[in-house]
Amino acid sequence: MVSRDQVENVLGRIRPMMQADGGDIELVDVQGNSAHVRLTGMCAGCPSAHMTLYAGVELALRDEIKDFEELVVV
Amino acid sequence: MRAPGAFSPDDVVVGQSARMRAIFDFVRVVSRSDSSVIITGESGTGKEVIANLLHHSSSRRHQPFVAVSCALFSENLIETELFGHERGAFTGAIKDKPGRFEMAQGGTLFLDDIDDVPLSMQVKLLRAIQNRTVERVGGTRSINVNVRVVTGSKRDLKKMVAEGNFREDLFYRLNVLPIVLPPLRERREDIPPLTDFFFRKFAALRGIDVPAVSPAVRYAFARYRWPGNVRELENACERIVQTCTCGTVRTACLAANILFGAGDPVPAPAAAELSVAAPSSISLDDRLREVESNLITWALKVSDGNKSRAAELLSIKRSTLGDRIVRCGLSEPSASEAEAADHEVRATA
Repeated sequence: MVSRDQVENVLGRIRPMMQADGGDIELVDVQGNSAHVRLTGMCAGCPSAHMTLYAGVELALRDEIKDFEELVVV
Repeated sequence: MRAPGAFSPDDVVVGQSARMRAIFDFVRVVSRSDSSVIITGESGTGKEVIANLLHHSSSRRHQPFVAVSCALFSENLIETELFGHERGAFTGAIKDKPGRFEMAQGGTLFLDDIDDVPLSMQVKLLRAIQNRTVERVGGTRSINVNVRVVTGSKRDLKKMVAEGNFREDLFYRLNVLPIVLPPLRERREDIPPLTDFFFRKFAALRGIDVPAVSPAVRYAFARYRWPGNVRELENACERIVQTCTCGTVRTACLAANILFGAGDPVPAPAAAELSVAAPSSISLDDRLREVESNLITWALKVSDGNKSRAAELLSIKRSTLGDRIVRCGLSEPSASEAEAADHEVRATA
């Protein structure tokens, strides 16, 4: 089982920079081995931001957390 | 081989760093000679750009510039690629084909990835460069070639010579005028002008206005290691411009590897200068102040002198930052200084 803390740890590494831009990547929920996140701020509605973050952050989570399965952007 | 004329010296960004300025001055000097030049640098540092600039600054500029990567071809193919072949030299050789040496006649031949040339081929290369003649594969006739040879290498050839993987005689033949290109992470002051240049270039290609760039993006770019050097920076800028939907580049536009790379803690400065064998006293306070002052300068720079934002980046209070700026004897860069630092200089060579 993936814990909330593990996911927050990884997100915490990029969060300060996103916050400096008035945005955030918010961890909504961890279900089993998947995490649900929400993009907030200026980039919330940008399809490109969703794509880049979605692919990259999921990869980082899988790299760092052994059992991590899926990142869901809600 | 690139189409001649595709390169324009105006497309070269010199930047601010002393090292790059020294390199461009050196290029101007050696462009007048015909001696071999070897350009060493990591992948993406701009070896071919420098070779091109060298050619276009030389008296050979109206003759061909032929660039060829020696890593592209298998051992047997390198020979026919460089020296050409006669009809019937091997199965499939249905007509005579000139090699790259002949194609560069009168001009400049840029042999990139020279460190990937197998030892057996190095002998033939040495002969060609030394005698200024080539023989096509399957041919008997010696063809005189008048080319200036510029080589590119991502590895230190001297080390390869010591390890026995590169012929010493060829090394000395090539290593007359060495140019060493620094990786981008060792000339970070050039990142802002390069970034602006690439954003402008790709925005023009896409036909959109040049996007604004948020300070946090500048911060991330300034901290990321750029293992792929200028090529990676160019690629990142192209990607961002192609996907930009709102006219402003923010951190969410960045590829996650750059975001994560920039978010990782800065490796501790090398402690190599602290000798164990011959210890001498240092001032801890001075050292700490040096670190502090570097970090504050950097934070002010990437936040365009905005103290609140700089304080945020450093995870300290705005008022604390003010105190520390005074304590370190730093003042914000004035607007004109910041502008001058962002101003990019183009090569005029």
